[in-house]
Amino acid sequence: MAVILLALMVAAVGCGGGDQQVAEDAIKIGIQGPMSGPMALEGQGFLKAAQLLADQINEQGGLLGREIVIVPGDDKSDPKESALVAQKMISSNVVAVIGSYSSTATEPAANIYHEAGILHITPSSTATPLSEKGFERFFRTCFLDDRQGLFAAQFAVDTLGLSKVALIHDNTTYAKGLADWTRIYLEENGATVVYYDAITPGEKDFSPVLTNVKGVAPELIYFTGYFSDGGLLVRQARELGIECLIMGGNAMNNSDLVKNAGLQYAQGVLVTTEPVPTDLPYAEAQQFIADFEAAYGTPPQSIWTLSGADALRVVVEAIAQTGSDDPAVLAEYLHNEMGDFPGITGPITFDEKGDRLGTIHKAYEVDAEGNFVPYEG
Amino acid sequence: MQEFLQQLVNGLTMGSVYALVALGYTMVYGILKLINFAHGELFMLGGFFGLTWLTASAFSGLLKSPLLGLLVLFLLVMAMVAVIGVLLDRVAYKPLRRSPRLTAVVSALGASIFLQNAVMLVFGSGYLVFPDVARDIYWMVGGVKITLMRVIIFLVAVCFMVGLYLLVQKTQLGAAMRAASLDHDTSRLMGIDVDKIIMLVFVIGPALGAAAGLMVGLYYRQINFAMGWTYGIRAFTAAIMGGIGNIPGAMIGGLLLGIIETLGAGYISATWKDAISFAILIFILIWRPTGLLGERVADKV
Amino acid sequence: MKERLRNIRNRHHWWPLVLLGAGWFCVPLFANSYWTDVANFFGIYMLLGLSLNIIVGYAGMFNLGHAAFYAVGAYTTAIINTRFGIPLLVLMPIAALTAAGFAALITRPVLHLRGDYLCIVTIGFGEIVRIALINNPFGLTGGPNGVLGIDRPALFGFTFYQPGHFFYLIWVIVILVMFGMRRLENSRLGRAWNYVREDELAAEAMGIDATNMKLLAFILGAGLAGIAGTLYAGKMTVIAPESFGFWESVVMFAIVVLGGPGSIPGVVVGTFGMFVLPEIFRGFSSARMLVFGAAMMLMMIFRPQGLWPSQRVLRVRQAEGLESQGSAAGRPA
Repeated sequence: MAVILLALMVAAVGCGGGDQQVAEDAIKIGIQGPMSGPMALEGQGFLKAAQLLADQINEQGGLLGREIVIVPGDDKSDPKESALVAQKMISSNVVAVIGSYSSTATEPAANIYHEAGILHITPSSTATPLSEKGFERFFRTCFLDDRQGLFAAQFAVDTLGLSKVALIHDNTTYAKGLADWTRIYLEENGATVVYYDAITPGEKDFSPVLTNVKGVAPELIYFTGYFSDGGLLVRQARELGIECLIMGGNAMNNSDLVKNAGLQYAQGVLVTTEPVPTDLPYAEAQQFIADFEAAYGTPPQSIWTLSGADALRVVVEAIAQTGSDDPAVLAEYLHNEMGDFPGITGPITFDEKGDRLGTIHKAYEVDAEGNFVPYEG
Repeated sequence: MQEFLQQLVNGLTMGSVYALVALGYTMVYGILKLINFAHGELFMLGGFFGLTWLTASAFSGLLKSPLLGLLVLFLLVMAMVAVIGVLLDRVAYKPLRRSPRLTAVVSALGASIFLQNAVMLVFGSGYLVFPDVARDIYWMVGGVKITLMRVIIFLVAVCFMVGLYLLVQKTQLGAAMRAASLDHDTSRLMGIDVDKIIMLVFVIGPALGAAAGLMVGLYYRQINFAMGWTYGIRAFTAAIMGGIGNIPGAMIGGLLLGIIETLGAGYISATWKDAISFAILIFILIWRPTGLLGERVADKV
Repeated sequence: MKERLRNIRNRHHWWPLVLLGAGWFCVPLFANSYWTDVANFFGIYMLLGLSLNIIVGYAGMFNLGHAAFYAVGAYTTAIINTRFGIPLLVLMPIAALTAAGFAALITRPVLHLRGDYLCIVTIGFGEIVRIALINNPFGLTGGPNGVLGIDRPALFGFTFYQPGHFFYLIWVIVILVMFGMRRLENSRLGRAWNYVREDELAAEAMGIDATNMKLLAFILGAGLAGIAGTLYAGKMTVIAPESFGFWESVVMFAIVVLGGPGSIPGVVVGTFGMFVLPEIFRGFSSARMLVFGAAMMLMMIFRPQGLWPSQRVLRVRQAEGLESQGSAAGRPA
């Protein structure tokens, strides 16, 4: 018995050393996110975006003449797996880690990266408490929940002139956070929230919830969850005969929304979001979408894929500008020197907490051809 | 009242799907006393195969006559998934016929994980969208909106269930199945080919599950690799609620669960929906330990 | 092999075990922090496996909702610690008692259910607990965000915070629990569970209160899972509902069955197979779970009695000529 157990242990420990062979001076960047499980789309989006950009840079001779190597880590969006992935990233000597997807998975990893002194950028964890811990090398390329909530509330009350709002989220950290902030700001602005409940993501039939929504007759439905559920929600709402305006958060900003809902239903749906890539004056944004589609056959399916690409571009920019791969130098640069970096999701500037400055949210409307166009009343 | 009736219509649609999937659980359990945890994945495969055929260019000609096209589509998908069902039995369950029950449960869970990830690797992790096959035809009955697709789902499910019930109750084959579910060895002595019966169960159950998966795809128009799990566990709940191993029980359990879910979501809270269903299941089992229609089995003495 | 094992026990050849233990406790000295952390979670899953083994292995009941008890332990610890600042190691027995009490309360009415019905009921308990945690009842559980900012455990002024520190804390507890289990197996209670598992009616006829024995299995198992919950909360400092989903229950269940129900070394190899091996193959990102599922099937097909079955269970089954038939599928229960 002892012999077998010892053998097992040796096997377990011995495998630690077997990392794949890469050029010795390669710059390693970790991509942490859910690559399997229900959220796999998001983590694989990070990975695809990062790999695409890294390949492009490597083809052109690399960064500072060195190869960029992407180190993937699948945390299934689970805090425990996240802690393990973080330890694994550290032992593979990465310069920076991009991830994780959900705030709950990012939290334990942030502690570990902080202790190891690694640059850590999350493209999608929008929970406000994450940046309250004073970690100097923690950044995010997403905007926090409260800013979009404020925008959505003001837009609904001031621009649209509506006062009866139904809020629907999907009980994920992100969507619930956005719904909660929107509720606070709506009430501050004198509107009433006539309905507040969650759907289960991945569900196919939302008519029980919508039948209730219909009963309270709101002027606006604001859904803070994802396009995959949102498309069905829009379609089923219209099928049930709900005629009011429907608006979504930035996770609804996806061309598949129109496909999921059907064009005749999606038309007139609003979204509050960072400017859509095709509207950005930057050539990089359109270039990225085109390259992504050329490489993988589909355009990026989630807004966070773009945010993930921005995270990598920010790291690359910092390394290129400082000529260093020391996380301390890079963090210093990102905090103090980088201003209005032309990101895919808009200009990027970080504040002293590592949060992204400014709000660039806008309202978009789905037009008769199924395109997202700026809302003009 | 109008809202309540609308919720009932909503519930019957979901319930029909649950009932069809529940039949697969209950039939396998009836013969093998095995919980086929991979059955939800077979349901999911029905959706994916359906989408593959629908988008295949070879198929577009047939769709010009929608009725014939859909009929062929259903038959094709059900046949494909039935083959996978039989393979599943051969690979994952057959070697374990004489092993402890716990073993087969773990094997079934393994099969479920395997199928789910295989589909993810082949079709990707994103959502796939069905083309718009069903057009918007509906009736307003006393302020309640009833779409054609909802009616079709309900009718198709009822037809399958009645057909299966007649097969099991009125034919010789059905008598053999009922005998096999009571005692394999005695059935063999009576000249029943039990292995053939088991194979038949793994043809019918997955085929019905596939039909349900295809209908979900056609109606809700959106599928992904993880959906088998959600529907599977609910259909299993429905099967247990009605009394597992009992075919009318699965139908009643499925429809009841669909209604409980929609009413729970509609009148209590959508976020607590699944918790409400499970709580009601537990109360039913405390009151009737073998489900609503489950036979009272005396403990062996 | 079996003969030799018996010899070892009879001649009290305990030194290989001691050597093994000593070797294992040196792991943090030469493994990097990642592998030390893998060893830490190995330990936590072993505790969970051992606790579920009481319910599934000893008492022979289906339980696919064990994560519920683990969650109750972890959340009890997290909530009391973040609100009242009570140290984690003080909270450990409280978490165990809360989880045990919770188990007593909810399983008492369903103990009479037959195997598969109990299976879905435990799945139901697991889901109800998870959904409740997400919905943040009374503002206690923090909803989908979970509870953040849990203290690290501390003992006499020493705070456990590095993977190496946790290694010793977790594994000392694991070893103690393993010794306890060994005693439990040979106790009156252990023998009573054997009877109940193999033949409930006969056990009743012998004067064993089967319902009470089953309840006791749930209470002990849940209490131990509660302790694992405290360790997990202290290790992570943040807990969220998705760590206590159905998947965790499946892993625990598979640990017990894969290793061999009712077998303590079985839990060791089962945990190795279900947790450590997938960790080693983390590199194969996307196909990892595919292989994992296939491996679960193959293991069961080629080793249905488990990787390291309990000699006691085998002996009982052999004596009754039941090993290959007794609880076989395909026969009416």
